Amino acid sequence: MKKLPLAIAACLALAANSANAEVRINGFASIVAGKSLDSEQTIYGYDDDISFKNESIFALQLSADLQESLTATAQIVARGSNDFDAEFEWAYLTYEFTDELQLSAGKMRVPFYRYSDFLDVGYAYRWVRPPETVYGLPFSTYEGLSLLYTSQIGDWDSTVQVIYGSSEASIDAISNEALDESELESIAGVNWSVSYDWFSARVAYLVAETTINVSSAEEGGAGFNSLVDTLVASGLSAQADELLIEEDDGAFFGIGFSIDYNDILFDTEYTQFEVKNSILAEQKQYYVSLGYRLDDVIVHVTYENDEDKHDASRYNQIASVPTLNAFFNGALDSSRDKAEVYTIGTRYDFHPSAALKVDYSHVKNNLAQTDVDVVSVAVDLVF
Amino acid sequence: MKKLLLASVVSLFSISAFAEVAVIVNPSNSSALDANEIKRIYLGKSKKFADGVKVNPVNQDGNAVADEFNDKVVGKSSSQLNAYWSKLVFTGKGTPPEKRNNDQAVISFVAGNADAIGYIDSSKVTDSVKVVASF
Repeated sequence: MKKLPLAIAACLALAANSANAEVRINGFASIVAGKSLDSEQTIYGYDDDISFKNESIFALQLSADLQESLTATAQIVARGSNDFDAEFEWAYLTYEFTDELQLSAGKMRVPFYRYSDFLDVGYAYRWVRPPETVYGLPFSTYEGLSLLYTSQIGDWDSTVQVIYGSSEASIDAISNEALDESELESIAGVNWSVSYDWFSARVAYLVAETTINVSSAEEGGAGFNSLVDTLVASGLSAQADELLIEEDDGAFFGIGFSIDYNDILFDTEYTQFEVKNSILAEQKQYYVSLGYRLDDVIVHVTYENDEDKHDASRYNQIASVPTLNAFFNGALDSSRDKAEVYTIGTRYDFHPSAALKVDYSHVKNNLAQTDVDVVSVAVDLVF
Repeated sequence: MKKLLLASVVSLFSISAFAEVAVIVNPSNSSALDANEIKRIYLGKSKKFADGVKVNPVNQDGNAVADEFNDKVVGKSSSQLNAYWSKLVFTGKGTPPEKRNNDQAVISFVAGNADAIGYIDSSKVTDSVKVVASF
């Protein structure tokens, strides 16, 4: 909570310094309760005890028009998973060159997905959480620039966003508890969205020089680090580099479209992500979701598919030393994944600015041959 | 006799249905606006009148006129509109029109601002504003 008074002070100072500043305060909140139906497995952070904390979130946004065309915005977010410690997740200045062109500078969300920008605003979408296999990348915000160009092409609205920046964060690349220190340098990305009344489509491409220092605090990370050390000590630095995530080229590609026609809702997104020459497997995932709106109620079904694997050519690089070779292959295999998720859910707009949601998901891990069910109930509000 | 019957049917109809919504601008504003353009203005997609003047729209706050306007012109329920704007507000991409409490407040705003646009119950229209469309 220490950071919240500071945030308010900063915004008040901004507002006070600008004689005609108009400060808008908006907020959103989600209270989510969830539970895994299997006592052995944790899923989306839930075990078989009901948790109200794991995915709950409160956020306040302060936005001040400093002068004509210049706006300062800060979003302070308190997450249950972070003991509701309030943190600045967005803080940026926006300058509008024209109605069509604006430049923002500061801390913002990396625009990977269609729902990236408002991922935390549960009220903006129909699920309790957007499809996790696609939306599961651990990278969230970056510091840098975002140029946004909106235009009209015939009856179509078009938005092009170009970003550049860098990011440092503690994430769960190999650890389970967000212990790995990631550094993304020279993040550059472009995405293009078009919409026509009931149809919209989006395509995105991003690259970044990616470094992740794996923590040794957990068994998996410790094993990884000692394998890398052993490889280096054995004169196999090239093979160690094949595993290390050190200034490697990361690339992300995403494409998707959605339909909202006569109360029929359809969404799909396909994404792929790769950090070359690293332990991280190439990820390919997609979801397809169909919904139907009946006045204030939406019912929906969603299918997700995820496959993370390495190219066969990456294996057996130390054939001359069978024990090390087995460890090397094992390390590559540890980042493989193959999963499917089936979700059925409903959203009820019981109030003009609040919605109640219930999602039931069946998560199948096709590598470990396990499956688990999870139920979550959410109340999402905007104010 | 037929005419009388028709008249009573018409008056019955107008009692049960909500009165028309009139979209109003300042009398000094000579821009023509069609339904699609008004919808684009209220979704934040269009920011200028045809003559290049920046448009300054006002909404009404959760009353019958607002529901009627959202339904007939914007084509979204108030929940859907809230969801639409939350996507823009929390990403710095747009700000929804300001809200006024009633027809009278909208009339005084529109009468006092050359760049304003608003909507009211058409039976409340006065000489201080100009009707550009009715729905």
